[in-house]
Amino acid sequence: MAIADVFVRYDLKKEAAEKKVAAGKDALLQKVMDAVVDGDEDNIVAYVNEALAAHDPLVVIREGLVKAMDEVSRLWDEGVYYLPQTIISSDTMLAGLDECEKKMGHSMEKKGVVITHTAEGDIHDLGQQIVNALLRANGFQVVDLGKDVPVDDVVSAVKQYKPAMLTGTALMTTTMTAFNKIANRLKRDGFDMPFVCGGGAVSLEYVTSFDLGIWGKEAQQAPPMANDAVAGVSWTKMREKYNS
Amino acid sequence: MSRLTPKERFMNKLMGREVDRAPVFCADQTGIYEEMDELQVFWPEAHQRAGDMARLAAAAYTIAGFDAVRVPFCQTIEAEALGCVIKYAGREGIPSVNVHPYKLEDTVKPLPENYLESGRIPELLEAVKILKQEVGDQVIAMGGIIGPYSIAASLIGITTILKASFKKPDQVKPYLDLAEQAGTALGKALIEAGADIICIEDMMASMDMISPAIYRELVFPWEKRQIEALSVPSILHICGKTNPIIEDMASTGAAILSVEHTIDSVDAKEKLKKFDRFIPLIGGVDAVVTLFSGSEDEVLQQSLKALESGYDMVAPGCSIAPGSPLANLKAMVKAAEIAAKQ
Repeated sequence: MAIADVFVRYDLKKEAAEKKVAAGKDALLQKVMDAVVDGDEDNIVAYVNEALAAHDPLVVIREGLVKAMDEVSRLWDEGVYYLPQTIISSDTMLAGLDECEKKMGHSMEKKGVVITHTAEGDIHDLGQQIVNALLRANGFQVVDLGKDVPVDDVVSAVKQYKPAMLTGTALMTTTMTAFNKIANRLKRDGFDMPFVCGGGAVSLEYVTSFDLGIWGKEAQQAPPMANDAVAGVSWTKMREKYNS
Repeated sequence: MSRLTPKERFMNKLMGREVDRAPVFCADQTGIYEEMDELQVFWPEAHQRAGDMARLAAAAYTIAGFDAVRVPFCQTIEAEALGCVIKYAGREGIPSVNVHPYKLEDTVKPLPENYLESGRIPELLEAVKILKQEVGDQVIAMGGIIGPYSIAASLIGITTILKASFKKPDQVKPYLDLAEQAGTALGKALIEAGADIICIEDMMASMDMISPAIYRELVFPWEKRQIEALSVPSILHICGKTNPIIEDMASTGAAILSVEHTIDSVDAKEKLKKFDRFIPLIGGVDAVVTLFSGSEDEVLQQSLKALESGYDMVAPGCSIAPGSPLANLKAMVKAAEIAAKQ
């Protein structure tokens, strides 16, 4: 299914239609974009290489892969896409990103480091995987601690990598209380980077009840939040911006 | 009307008969730290030993005043007995699956012959017997099992099952067969041990995880088979906004549907009216914002609102966060008392 069909089929909003025109200027980039939106893991590498023959890798990343993930985020937001499609699209995008970085001969110059993790005991790390994909596509170095991560491990990773931002995901009501423990430990040890917490079980009320905590409503907020964090915006200012 | 025992209250409501007040309980995990401190019974022992498990479970009635009690507190009993490696989370947390025993392409082994003697199943069954003995004449004893799709997710991993459900659904089916057999076998054993009600949690079948199309193809047929095989009424719990599948959930034959507060309960109740049997809808209390982080009054108000907006029994829409205040649990019961007087 091409992206244009997605919009026609689901009668998405005007702004979505405008995006379609913007992405449609170049047939090669359009193919990359369609492959990501459709989750075509089998062909993404071939399409990215075709696009790389005509474009700079950074252009393929920005105009093909990142734009496609913006559309995937939107489809998810609108309830058109469910988690399985979104995960498959993220994986497709990451395969394309690897190919672009290979062509560059080095990784994309990173804007800054973000550590991501899913709470100890939590069986889901899917929200986190999408956050990882969006951050990587947008040029951040992601230190992915994975799922089921004990408080101690999160704290020592922060000490080791000194990230601009830390994220935590929890989807179970029984696991989320690890977050205030992490925040307290970091505060005590003199760290003050924003700690963005999100996921099904996590609420604005809970996250803003402890220092450093910023509530992340949706995965696609991760890149703009990370941009702010790298630019040196404090957690208090970020909380004002995103949580009020 | 005269005061009913919690058990009578629950069963009356289940049948659509008159009650002195709406029943209050939780279809999912009920243990909280305040109860543990009071009883001096803690995790992880209460996940592992029948006596401790039963004592903490009974607290939902003896301390919080709920109309039903349930074991276990985690979602890993079947998974462990099927070979998943379990990681315990100490005093404060629930066990989780650390290593998934299968890869999608593997050949699925049949249900082990000694399955009911594996892992913590014998302790769980013993806990039900103890609960029945201690509080069973007063209160409903619920046995918890995990739905087929969610056990299958433990067997092969969540990302794997989600992707395969979309791209290669046929490869998921053998795992659903094994998962359903495991849950059903445990359910039958729990009934034999004395469980009045079986609660099936199929949290991975949430609309936060899968689409209605996947629910119909890979969840519903196995849930239905399971529910039909159980000889006592069952509660089907699925998290998230389940409005698009609420009629499918009812078509499984589940006696009671347990849902999260995010659903449109009026719409759900309306859809359930199309069935020729009374299907109680339970939930209405936000387990995080209200029950865990909120004040007593906020819990009270939300519980009252739940009863006004179509819920037949008051419950949190998800596992109780163990750090939730006892006073908030009691506020749900208080709300049911107040609503009955109005």
